[in-house]
Amino acid sequence: MTGFAAWLASTSLSRTIVLYRWIWPLCEIIHFIGLTLVVGIAGFFDLRLMGFMKRVPVAAARDLMPFAIAGFLMNLATGATFFIGKPNQYIDNLAWWAKVFCLVLAGANAMFFETTVGARTIVVGAGEDTPRAAKVVGAVSLASWLGVLYFGRMLPYIGGAF
Amino acid sequence: MTALSIWLENTAIGVWTRESPSIWAYPTILTLHTVGLGMLVGANAIIDLRLLGFAPRLPLPSLAPLYRFMWAGFAINAITGVLLFVANATTKSTQPVFYLKLALIAAALVVTAAIRKAVARDRPSGLDSTARVMSPARLAVVSLVLWTGAIAAGRLMAYL
Repeated sequence: MTGFAAWLASTSLSRTIVLYRWIWPLCEIIHFIGLTLVVGIAGFFDLRLMGFMKRVPVAAARDLMPFAIAGFLMNLATGATFFIGKPNQYIDNLAWWAKVFCLVLAGANAMFFETTVGARTIVVGAGEDTPRAAKVVGAVSLASWLGVLYFGRMLPYIGGAF
Repeated sequence: MTALSIWLENTAIGVWTRESPSIWAYPTILTLHTVGLGMLVGANAIIDLRLLGFAPRLPLPSLAPLYRFMWAGFAINAITGVLLFVANATTKSTQPVFYLKLALIAAALVVTAAIRKAVARDRPSGLDSTARVMSPARLAVVSLVLWTGAIAAGRLMAYL
């Protein structure tokens, strides 16, 4: 792992990322805008799945999901930039691995939703209750995204690698 | 201003926030500030995007509970923001980008209130944009620009 990190840090792409000092802050700004889209819009859908804001039809809440996906892609790109730029800050950092674990959990949970309860949840209209399984999916999703945020913010404080 | 900043930094809460090795001090306050940001700006973005014509099946009146999330997010960030300021008052009070951030937030809150009024006035059947200084869609654009600007200014406080 350390060998991989050392190789990555020696690439010209990695050196470019740290050479231009405006790249890092710019990526941070984009990362925080993406964070807001993911937490705000996916969180809104999760809360509806959990049974909050029942006046919102589930399908209508889902219509905004492309913005959450756009936010996720922004953060994937900027997150990759951080990792390539300073791999040693992340590779042995416990908080980073916890963040990756939460990301995988969020992804697996979303896939579970799509392949199982999704179809009978999406037709739930205004004022109607969601199936119990959908409530669990919503809670797991919200918790895992907040976990991603928590461990992301804790990167400089838990691992001591910064 | 400098005397006040120095005094603030030396208050017990300022010293604790800045110097405590506890994970519950600075790191947790910073994390809560990010959670509050997600709630406040995220809830705003949902309403703004709806006013811009996205997700037309989403009934505007059904989004009213989002204002509670905005207020909760704002309250979290006002409290954590004061703590973060007090911890490093001498640095932050001299940063122009900090005042820019505050100005952007103040303007964004005015626009948020205007949007809420405009939405409350409208019948669920549709948005009547006549006889108004700014249409709700235009307010939504201004809201998104101001909140994005506030996020950018906040991030840049670590650099400028």
